[in-house]
This record gives sequence, structure tokens and C-alpha cells, in this order.
Amino acid sequence: MSTKEKNMLGRTLIYIVLTVIGIAFLSPVFIVLINSFKGKFFISEEPFSLPDKDTFAGLENYVSGLEKTGFFSAFGWSLFITVFSVLAIVLFTSMTAWYIVRVKNKFTKALYYVFVFSMIVPFQMVMFTMTKTAGELGLDTPWGIVLIYLGFGAGLAVFMFCGFLKSVPLEIEEAAMIDGCNPVQTFFMVVFPVLKPTAITVAILNAMWIWNDYLLPYLLIGSEYKTIPVAVQYLRGGYGSVDMGALMAMLVLSIIPIIIFYLFCQKYIIKGIVAGAVKG
Amino acid sequence: MASISLKNIYKIFEDGTTAVNDFSLEIADKEFIILVGPSGCGKSTTLRMIAGLESISKGEMKIGDRTVNSVAPKDRDIAMVFQSYALYPHMSVYRNMAFGLELRKVPKDEIDKRVREAAKILDIEHLLKRKPRALSGGQRQRVALGRAMVRSPSVFLLDEPLSNLDAKLRTTMRTEIKKLHKRLGTTFIYVTHDQTEAMTMGDRIVVMKDGVIQQVDTPQKLYDKPYNMFVAGFIGSPQMNFLDAVVSIRDSQIYLILADNEINVTSVFKDEKRIYNYDGKHVKLGIRPEDITNDAEYVKKNADKVITASLEVNEMMGSETYLYLDYSGEKIVARVNAPATEGEVNLLAIRTDKIHLFDPKTTINILF
Repeated sequence: MSTKEKNMLGRTLIYIVLTVIGIAFLSPVFIVLINSFKGKFFISEEPFSLPDKDTFAGLENYVSGLEKTGFFSAFGWSLFITVFSVLAIVLFTSMTAWYIVRVKNKFTKALYYVFVFSMIVPFQMVMFTMTKTAGELGLDTPWGIVLIYLGFGAGLAVFMFCGFLKSVPLEIEEAAMIDGCNPVQTFFMVVFPVLKPTAITVAILNAMWIWNDYLLPYLLIGSEYKTIPVAVQYLRGGYGSVDMGALMAMLVLSIIPIIIFYLFCQKYIIKGIVAGAVKG
Repeated sequence: MASISLKNIYKIFEDGTTAVNDFSLEIADKEFIILVGPSGCGKSTTLRMIAGLESISKGEMKIGDRTVNSVAPKDRDIAMVFQSYALYPHMSVYRNMAFGLELRKVPKDEIDKRVREAAKILDIEHLLKRKPRALSGGQRQRVALGRAMVRSPSVFLLDEPLSNLDAKLRTTMRTEIKKLHKRLGTTFIYVTHDQTEAMTMGDRIVVMKDGVIQQVDTPQKLYDKPYNMFVAGFIGSPQMNFLDAVVSIRDSQIYLILADNEINVTSVFKDEKRIYNYDGKHVKLGIRPEDITNDAEYVKKNADKVITASLEVNEMMGSETYLYLDYSGEKIVARVNAPATEGEVNLLAIRTDKIHLFDPKTTINILF
């Protein structure tokens, strides 16, 4: 077998494997989508079949889902929590990383390791103590949850910003100081714009996670302020009855914004992760 | 426009390293001063202390009449050009140059006027809309100079600005910077490790080693009368040759006894009293490559100033030839007009009026 043939074979194999993985990841989304247009009684019976004359329910599931869940209010809360949490994470962790990278002493070194360590602590480990403490501190509000998301998102964000900042030459900041910047101006006018690719990556990763998160909003503010995942969960009635049609329709509506967001920003994700990994 | 005064300046880092040791220097207004020395000699640290990017551990620094030890960099009325240019990557060339003025709230039309003027002088008018990443090394260098120029600072600080450029461009930019200094009439402090840059650009050169000033003088004086062996070896290319010698004074004649030869230096040193203290003692003889010749006629006329060395390699430079010789195990270089035969013993005459004698212990020029 010639080298060319070997390469062809290798490439074909890679394509086959990637196609299988692609199908495996996309099929649940597709199944949810087709089922959202089927009558609710047909979903459990024939979950994998396409809607036909008998099973097609039009937008009925969407209408009933929107009515039952209070979807627009949930959308609002999801948006509020996601936007402010992401803003807080990007703003505060980039500043923290700048401090850690530029001020080199034992304290900042220890701080860096604390942030890195926080990435490997599973949420389930701290969830009950944390929700109890948060409740006692009055953080069981949408503003409070923003603060808690900042805490959970900080580890990875600081790690990524630190990796990128190490490759940013100090001389740029010194030039800014000589040009007349104070430290705040240096950060916002010179350092932060340079960090843009990493900031976008951090924003996207955190936005996807916070938008989709179920457990934290359910435990902390679930009874009063329902985010989309929590609201969708309420479609499960008592005694195991579930309105599958409405559930599927609401799932479709909830993933649309994040998919659009991802499609717009996907090139930055890869750019940012690579920048941090290679240059850091 | 400003003079700078540095009095007993020290830079001691937290780990106890003394990077700059008792540095004192008076820099006149409009002077072009070069700080030169090998890597780690403290020249960049000194420049950074003048810029305010490093704190001064001890001593007093004045720009004009103002003590600036604890003045922030932005308030020192200085501009700095960095080795890596340090252009803001997210800003256009125009904004890179205008940024400092914007921060100082200079009116927009004034900023525009100054940026365009500087761009015209530096021939970068057509690049104003580009981002730094779309520029070549030489163009970035010009933008960095432009950014410093528009501010019209009292002092220009340049930290190895040419070291990232290729050899040809470096020569061109050297002249450009020199011209710029004349045009702006501002104090320039220029750090380099390249002795050619130092010799060709500065009004005065400060030679540093291990954080200590070795000598401060004009380029020509530094070359003709180095204070110690370090300066003698550092300035000049190829560097000065050093040979072991013993001073011998007999019958009112002064000789230097070398490994294989004896040369008569009476005509040069007969009125020099300090040489008599070294009678019978070891010294280091320093002689520059161009002061050793293989010119047959000169050798014949100066038979008492001749050494014999075997030639290892000829290096043809076009207009001249470097001879790499072995003199009793010591390597010496001669810069001559005509090549010699490799592997053979050559007769070479030393121009004794150009020799330097150094104390081997203190390394100081005994005739300084």
C-alpha cells in the first residue's frame, strides 16, 4: 500500500469516527425537535419516528408549554442571571488574573493555586452547605446567584486569563504608564482590549453553562424565580405524569438562544482556548 | 529640554542583588548619552529608573531642577522607546501615536497636527490607518519613535531600539536617530550593548560593568585613552590585544619584555614618571589590531619594536585583512593592508606610541 493510499484510508477512518460522534451528539437535539411537533401521546410510543398525518400536532405543544411554564418570565430570569453573571466573571476574573500575573509574590502564587483547585471541586460536594450559607446570607435572590456564579466560574476563567496574560509583554503596560495612564486606565484601555479573544471565550463557556444550569437555581431561588431549566422541569406533574409534548417544545425554545449565541462566537472559542494553551 | 542629574544612585532588588552601584552622572541639556555594557551590567535598569519604571533604592535623581525619585513616570516629562517597540496591538498607528496626547487632554486638532507632522518626518504617513501587526520591524520602530516624538518630551529614553532590526536597517536607523536628535534638540539617553552604535551615535558614552560606571567620556577619548582593561577590550572591533609584559629600565632605556621579544618604548615613555614605579614588574600591554603592522618597510625601520608571531588565519575583509596570530600561546589580531602566509612566522611591528599599559592586579591603565 502506497503512502498516498495509507493517508486516504486514515482520513476516511477519521471521517467515519467523526461522523458517528457527530450523529451521537446531534441526535438527541434532533429527536427533541421532531417530538416537539408530535401529539403528546405519540411521543412515548414512537419517539424516533418523524411526525406524520396522524401524529403531527402543529404548534399545539408550544402554545400549551408557554401557557403552563410561564416561559417568558423564565426566559427573562435566565437572561438576567446569565448576562450579569458572565459580565461579573469576565470583568472581575480578568482583573484578578492581571494582578496574579503582574504582582509576583507568595500570596498571588497561593491565590492562583486556590483558583485552579476550585476547578476540580465538584458542585455536588459543596451544594448543601453552600445553599444553606447563601440562604442565611440573603443571597437567595437573582442578584445573589450572580455572586455565586462568579465564585463557581472564577477558577477556569482566572486560569485562562492567566495563561494568556503571561504572553502579553509587560512593556505595553509600561508604555501606557509613560503615556499617562493610571492603573485603572492601563487595564481598561490597554490590557483588557488585548485580552479580548480570551474574554470572549470565557464569556461563551460561562454563558452556555449558566444558561443550561439547573441545580443551582433550583436549590437557591427555584421556588420564587424560575429559570428556563427549572420551569421546564415543572411540566412534570404529580404521580409521574409528564406533558411530554410541552416539555419537548420548551426544550427546543430553551436551546435556540444558546445555539445562536454559540454559532456566532464559535471561532473565538477555539482561538481563545488555543491562545491560552500555546502561549501560556 | 532638561538636564539630568543622577547622584549616588543604587538599585538593590528584593533578593539583595545590586544591579546599579553608586551611579553618578550629570547629563547636559540636549546631550546624546549612550549607556553601553554587556548583558546584565545595569544599563537598562538605570534607564528604567530614569523613566520611573523602577524605584530608586538609594540616591537622588533630578530632571531639570526637580527631584523626581518618587514622581510617577507620566509626570516626568519623558518618552521611551522600547526594545520590543511596545506598540498597542489593538490600536491603529495613528491612535498609537495620539494616545499619550489624548490622555493629556490635548485638543483634537492639535493632536492631529502633531501626529501628522511626526509621521511626515518619519515617513510613515501612509501607514497611519494600519494596525501594528501589519507593519515590518523597521516601520514599527518608526511608529515607536513617532509615539515618543509627538509628546515633545524633555528627555528621550531609548532602550536598545535597534537590536530587533536586521544589520542593514540598523545602520540606516542609526543615522535616522542621530538626525532626529539634531532636529528635536532634546536630551537623548540611549541604551545599547553594541559598541558600534555607541561609538557612532553618542556625544558621550557611559561604559558600565556589573552595575558600576567604568568610564564616561567622548567616543574618541574612550577609544584612545581607556581607563581600564574592560573599557579597552569592550570598545573597538576587533577588540584590543592584551599581552603579558615586564617593564625593564636599563641604560636610560625603557623596554617591555614580552614572551619572545623585547621592544623599546623609550621614545614614548621617557617623560612618563609613573612607568619608573613599574621597573621589573609585570604589566599588561594593550595594543589595538590596527596598531600592529606587517608593512615590510615599517618593520625594517623599527627593528626594536618587532614581535614574531605565527599566522593561523587570514580574514579578508575587502579593503583590509585581519591576521589571527599565535604569539607564544597568546592569541592576537592584527588589522593590516596585505594578507600574509598562513602557518608561517611573521614579523610584525608595534606602533609603540599607541600602546596602553595596565596594572595586572587592578586592571587600571597605569598612564591614565
